[in-house]
Amino acid sequence: MDWATQVVNILQAATVLLLSPLIAGVAYRWKAWTESRSGPSIFQPYFDLAKYLRKETLLPQNSSAVFLVAPFVAFGAYLLISVVVPVITPYPIPFASTVDFLGGGLLFGLAGTVTLLAAIDSGSNYAALGASRTVSFAAFAEPTLIIVFFAVAVITGTNNPYVTNNLLASSTSAYLAPTHLLVTAAFFLLLLAETGKLPVESVGLMEFGMLEDGRIFEHSGRLLGLNRWNGWLKQFLLYSVFVNVFLLPWGMDAAPTVGGAVENIGLLLVKLLLLVGVIVLVEATVAKVRLFKIRDFLALSFSLAVFAVFAFAVLGVP
Amino acid sequence: MDGSAEVVALVGVGILLTALYLQSESFVDPLIRGIAVQSLLLAVLLGWLAWTTQSVDLAILAGLAVAVRAGLIPYVLRRQIRAFRWRMRELHAAHRVTGHALAAVALAIIAWFVFQQTLASIFPQPGAALPFVLLVEGLLMLATRSNTIVQVIGYLEEENAVVYAGALFAQGFPLFVEVVVFLDVLGVVLVAVILSIQRDVTGTLEEAALEELAG
Repeated sequence: MDWATQVVNILQAATVLLLSPLIAGVAYRWKAWTESRSGPSIFQPYFDLAKYLRKETLLPQNSSAVFLVAPFVAFGAYLLISVVVPVITPYPIPFASTVDFLGGGLLFGLAGTVTLLAAIDSGSNYAALGASRTVSFAAFAEPTLIIVFFAVAVITGTNNPYVTNNLLASSTSAYLAPTHLLVTAAFFLLLLAETGKLPVESVGLMEFGMLEDGRIFEHSGRLLGLNRWNGWLKQFLLYSVFVNVFLLPWGMDAAPTVGGAVENIGLLLVKLLLLVGVIVLVEATVAKVRLFKIRDFLALSFSLAVFAVFAFAVLGVP
Repeated sequence: MDGSAEVVALVGVGILLTALYLQSESFVDPLIRGIAVQSLLLAVLLGWLAWTTQSVDLAILAGLAVAVRAGLIPYVLRRQIRAFRWRMRELHAAHRVTGHALAAVALAIIAWFVFQQTLASIFPQPGAALPFVLLVEGLLMLATRSNTIVQVIGYLEEENAVVYAGALFAQGFPLFVEVVVFLDVLGVVLVAVILSIQRDVTGTLEEAALEELAG
């Protein structure tokens, strides 16, 4: 392993860690524009993070070590995911062989689960409510995620996101195949649900999201900062996977050099900003669905994912 | 897969998606638009097949599909509910969106397995199962809904499946037979419309239930 690969490895982790608050900040500001507000600075999440890290941490009286440790475990899981999925390279970096697509999904699951355990451990009704709601809907979201992995696997014959990226970037017919189009649509709906976006969860100036946000209700100070950062990391990673593997697989510099990787960071930012624009547009145009209708939303996403595999079976080709 | 097969596959999956939409929608007006879109996709498929096989018969059929299935029948059905378009809804269906969508998916898979066991050896081309799946989806709609107009839409979906299958497998069919299928549908819709003038056949409007703000 030469030094260039090592640098690219570190660069990728640093990109995810340092740029995830920026993407969230841009999303807040653009969303504010759709509401005729000028909105906070795009660097506001960094200021927030700095503030949280300085503040005192308070622990609920009845909480155990789980409450304290969970944000760190989740952070570690996201950090590991950030070096195994295609973010700034179209070729696998050294850590990428740790897990495949399904393993990445399991790591997301681990991070989500420890956050839930911490919410229940806090003993707070609000946090427990957020946790129970998240779990009720995750029961519908997880099967979709698994089927999306199946669909990706049938397109390429492997569960490796890098292979999918290369195939879709090089073959127009694979990109336009019904299986890929359906699985992209299904993953986009899942993305909205998983990152707490509008048809599913409403977070605003006067409003507190009661799914994702509800779970970290009792955390404060550094732990809250870490939890917020985890949310941004999850969003950044899911967005990266979506643009690099599903929606816009083209254009990444395949040369295994530091210069190529830096070039790809710029490209990734452009792609992510496009995606953020689309999501802000979605958020500005759709209304929040009622709580028990979220199930219908996820059922639609699930149906699309199943039809993706179905289309493969019926048509005989991806 | 060559370009022509890709177009047929994409349009086929589009038709399948409209079938999923029809299953999960509870308002009648969007349902009528949905079946019009499905018919339009079918017409695109017929037109494409007419273009690639240079068949005049298929081109006439495509024109007929646009005029009758995407134009006339939806127009007649929408006229029928014009006065109460925004309230015309099957409330029971509204509460079962998840169930209907999942049933549609499950039935599609079962239909595909049945097709594999029975007809796949006769029709080996890719996508051959899609008309069969569409037929079963139409049947599911007839079975799960209670509103007459929605049932007519389920029937139209079945008829679309028949034309779809005819276009894929029986391109040597005499035009006369195909035209008779179209006129047959028209007759059925007319009878259904006459029947649904009696409001008790259409089903109640469930207005009282709609006022209840049930979750």
